[in-house]
Amino acid sequence: MKITISKKEQFLDFDIGEDERILYGGLAKRIPLPYECATGTCGTCKARLVSGEVTSHWDDAPGRSKLKLERGEFLMCQSSCKTNIEIKVPGIKIDQLAIEPIPKHSVGSITNIEWLTRDVAHLSVDLNQEFNFKAGQFVVVQTETVVGGRAYSMVNYDPGTNQLVLVIKLKPDGGFSNWLGNSATIGTTLQVYGPLGAAIFEPANDKDLLCISGGSGIAGIMSILEHACSVNHFEQNRGEVYFGVRTPADAFYMAQLSDFVARSNSNLTVTVVFSDEYASDEHSTLPSNLNYMDGYVGPVAIESTNIAVEKASAFLAGPPIMIDGTIRSLIVEKGFGPAQIKYDKFA
Amino acid sequence: MTWKNVCSTDAVPESSLKQFDIDGVPVLVANIDNEFRCYPPACPHMEERLAETGLCNKGVLTCTTHLWQWNLLTGKAVAPSENNRQMLSYDAKVEDGHVMAYIEEELEYDFDDEDDD
Repeated sequence: MKITISKKEQFLDFDIGEDERILYGGLAKRIPLPYECATGTCGTCKARLVSGEVTSHWDDAPGRSKLKLERGEFLMCQSSCKTNIEIKVPGIKIDQLAIEPIPKHSVGSITNIEWLTRDVAHLSVDLNQEFNFKAGQFVVVQTETVVGGRAYSMVNYDPGTNQLVLVIKLKPDGGFSNWLGNSATIGTTLQVYGPLGAAIFEPANDKDLLCISGGSGIAGIMSILEHACSVNHFEQNRGEVYFGVRTPADAFYMAQLSDFVARSNSNLTVTVVFSDEYASDEHSTLPSNLNYMDGYVGPVAIESTNIAVEKASAFLAGPPIMIDGTIRSLIVEKGFGPAQIKYDKFA
Repeated sequence: MTWKNVCSTDAVPESSLKQFDIDGVPVLVANIDNEFRCYPPACPHMEERLAETGLCNKGVLTCTTHLWQWNLLTGKAVAPSENNRQMLSYDAKVEDGHVMAYIEEELEYDFDDEDDD
């Protein structure tokens, strides 16, 4: 199918496969289509149909609430072409290329499932091809039996690898979570599309890192810390990580975080923040080179951070309410500019 | 339509945004150090609902959804570098402690009208 993006007197054509999501097909051709979650929630990938027909694969996608349906708007991440189409895309620079690495479709096979807590699993997946990604990026995962893709950040950082490590938090009514809990085994295959996401760590920027994550948002932060430690980023730069969980029993990756601190030349601190329970006697089982506080992770991080704004780069990952509140505090209370804040907002 | 009474100046605290409905037209009022401006309530970038996503701080509007910024006194783009979209606005003035807006018709963004190449 042929897609034409029109903008005033400019036109850009590209082809995608039948049933392929327009966003995924376009990004794979380096078309700089706007997106954020890539899974139907945020509404950032909206476009307007000028001619032709599209098929919506998820009519209940939360992001559709942000569309003007009467004007022909649709979500490119949840739509494929029924015919050749012409579309308009807000803000697109059709003379530019999307940033690398270029996302692509892969087939993955589960090689390990490890339960880290009562509702968090660590999933290792081998892909059928080499996979380049940057620390902080994510992939969209689909299974044979669960409708719709889910976005998961890579935990590992290993350029050119064919292995992904993902963290999946079970949700009570989540289809993917139920699939993982009931059907997934070693050898189960997955469809993987990526890498995606602009909340990328760039060590060359020489910044002090302020990382604030809630729950499984720690996944992308782990990748960033792995990359940072591998290039000795903390020899010259500081880092602070705030990791919010409900209770000590919900904390995970403690040994790995402890190892990052040990490798950081004393320039990295990690603070685990408990929102529901502050059980000091349980801390004896947790690594002694991490800090432990109680409260909500965003406010605790804002209150506690000693990172100077002039040299700071903030990475936020977690649920929307946490991200939105923390962004406001970073701007109003700490004087951060928008270019200093990168975020991965869970849907 | 003509000049419309949008709200009391007391209804919008300093460095804040608040949305009002004026005869079916949604109007976002910004208080910048007691200077008032009236805008349509959608972000010029992706039409996010600024009453929920907008942050007014030191005279700058930040839409916290994608972190694009505008100068609230002038409506001119601040960040990121690719942002060169002017905010649409209603003429505004204060009379007898009330914010007034000149509303001829509802202003809406349409990305067909973008001129950012």
